[in-house]
Amino acid sequence: MAVDTLSGAFGGATRKSRSYNLGTPLVLAAALVLLYLWLSTQQLDSMEARVLSAASIRDATLAHLTLTAISTSIVVVIAIPIGVLLTRPFARWLTPWVMAVANVGQAAPALGVLVLLSILFGIGTKIAIVTLVFHATLPVLRNTIAGIQQVDSALLEAGRGMGMSRRQILRRLELPLAVPVVMAGLRTTIVICVGIATVATFINAGGLGDIVVAGIKLQRTSILVTGGVLTAVIALGLDWLAGLAEKYVRPQGI
Amino acid sequence: MSDIKLVNVTKQYDGQPLPAVDGVTLDIAAGELVVFVGPSGCGKTTTMKMINRLIEPTSGRILLGGTDVMSIEPNELRRHIGYVIQQIGLFPHMTISENIQLVPGLLGWDKTRSRRRADELLELVGLDPVAYRDRYPRQLSGGQQQRVGVARALAADPPVMLMDEPFGATDPITRERLQNEFLRLQAELRKTIVFVTHDFDEAVKLGDRIAVLEERSRIAQYDTPERILATPADDYVASFAGSATAIKRLALIPAERLPGKPLNVANGLPTLDKGGSARDVLDLMIRWGTAQVAVDGGKAVDFETICGLLGDDHGR
Ligand SMILES: Nc1ncnc2c1ncn2[C@@H]1O[C@H](COP(=O)(O)OP(=O)(O)OP(=O)(O)O)[C@@H](O)[C@H]1O
Ligand SMILES: [Mg+2]
Repeated sequence: MAVDTLSGAFGGATRKSRSYNLGTPLVLAAALVLLYLWLSTQQLDSMEARVLSAASIRDATLAHLTLTAISTSIVVVIAIPIGVLLTRPFARWLTPWVMAVANVGQAAPALGVLVLLSILFGIGTKIAIVTLVFHATLPVLRNTIAGIQQVDSALLEAGRGMGMSRRQILRRLELPLAVPVVMAGLRTTIVICVGIATVATFINAGGLGDIVVAGIKLQRTSILVTGGVLTAVIALGLDWLAGLAEKYVRPQGI
Repeated sequence: MSDIKLVNVTKQYDGQPLPAVDGVTLDIAAGELVVFVGPSGCGKTTTMKMINRLIEPTSGRILLGGTDVMSIEPNELRRHIGYVIQQIGLFPHMTISENIQLVPGLLGWDKTRSRRRADELLELVGLDPVAYRDRYPRQLSGGQQQRVGVARALAADPPVMLMDEPFGATDPITRERLQNEFLRLQAELRKTIVFVTHDFDEAVKLGDRIAVLEERSRIAQYDTPERILATPADDYVASFAGSATAIKRLALIPAERLPGKPLNVANGLPTLDKGGSARDVLDLMIRWGTAQVAVDGGKAVDFETICGLLGDDHGR
């Protein structure tokens, strides 16, 4: 369970310095510059010019970021408390059931879920967010559980032996020590959100999917490439930012 | 006041055919250091953890200063019993000082007081507060971590301490140093201490009394180190005490207490350093091939004195 993300987190734990990894943003900036230069060498027809106008790209990007930010926040608010709950002795028996639901959530085809939900509840941003949350909950949930479970039982016993209450043990030992693993899950969630937010366009919820789909419908490579590159840059850029944030919220000493 | 009484205490883990602790009865006086010694799996840790209710006994009673521990709220009880776990267990995300301040914090001490206390304790266990207080546990060696573990258990000045192989994971030299410092500390603090080890020599060195435990924590013998070495209750205890028990007994007799003759200054005898034992005297004699050794304080100890020390049980 969560082996990939766990090893990622522990790999990070050995990196002690808080130096920024500037390679990623430089590469991403270079990609954007290249895209811009390449587009300026193209003869854009009126349709291309409309879709690739600054305003259109800005609106799509903003919508995409908004979808991602809202869904990720909701995932955090839902998945961390549930994950914590599922590690408590009285609720542990529920864990396999909840994990099964979360697994289905991640495995079900996003477009299918989106269409199904929109048939049932109508179209629009809200339904897009519900779909995103449904798909992106698993990594944070799984890593919250794994992060708490990986805490050395000797530490919990030391805490108990010193007279810490269950709540104090959770707040002062289990949660801080789980942070690196939870953060690794959060990064996965963010990347999934950015990717899946591209299908929001099918229910009129905007985002970079608008540009990608326009590229396909109009059969314009320039549009298609722009939508693809922007999506990738946002995914990688947010992942980098989250990595940066992780260094700051990770407790010192571990 | 803070004496400990175990009365017919039994612990039966679920799904085990036999109890892990079977009807143990034991008195530990206030201020006494009692060592539980026995082979791995004999129930030392289980017996100890029942005292601070980390494990609940299946039957029997445990009294702390005359009060049944089952009548005390567990967290409250534990905050007043120092506890050093077998695996040290310093919290990696807290500094050394924060680790030590934890129990004072739980007891509601104010920040300045517990910070001062942490410094004082670092000093006490031989670590410079300025150099160590803000470090994280992983920045300390194993031996230093064990000192901090002891300091953390002492933080709120508990009258009772439970120590589960606190010097387990160190090399023999560090271990000996920690033991010596610990004895010095205990001479000063006079806590009621339950100390678990499976190293018999450590038990002899540290214990006021030793409980030699067999399977299921049954007490094979409960007595002073001298008496366990001199008159082991049965073959099991004898085998645990190992060979050369006479020599081990000599180690318990401080050289200062040996009778000696006034020392002729110019005789060039090998001289024993301060703090040595009768065993060290004998060792010097053998090493130098002399029948006399000078002991700090200006006396000469004879070979015959050493030979006569163990009284009349040399027929054993
Ligand atoms: N939670 C548990 N459930 C079932 N059996 C246990 C449990 N804890 C300990 N035991 C068993 O009880 C016995 C005593 O264990 P205990 O940990 O007290 O031994 P110990 O003397 O401290 O050993 P060591 O020197 O290896 O630490 C062992 O046989 C062990 O397998
Ligand atoms: Mg043990």
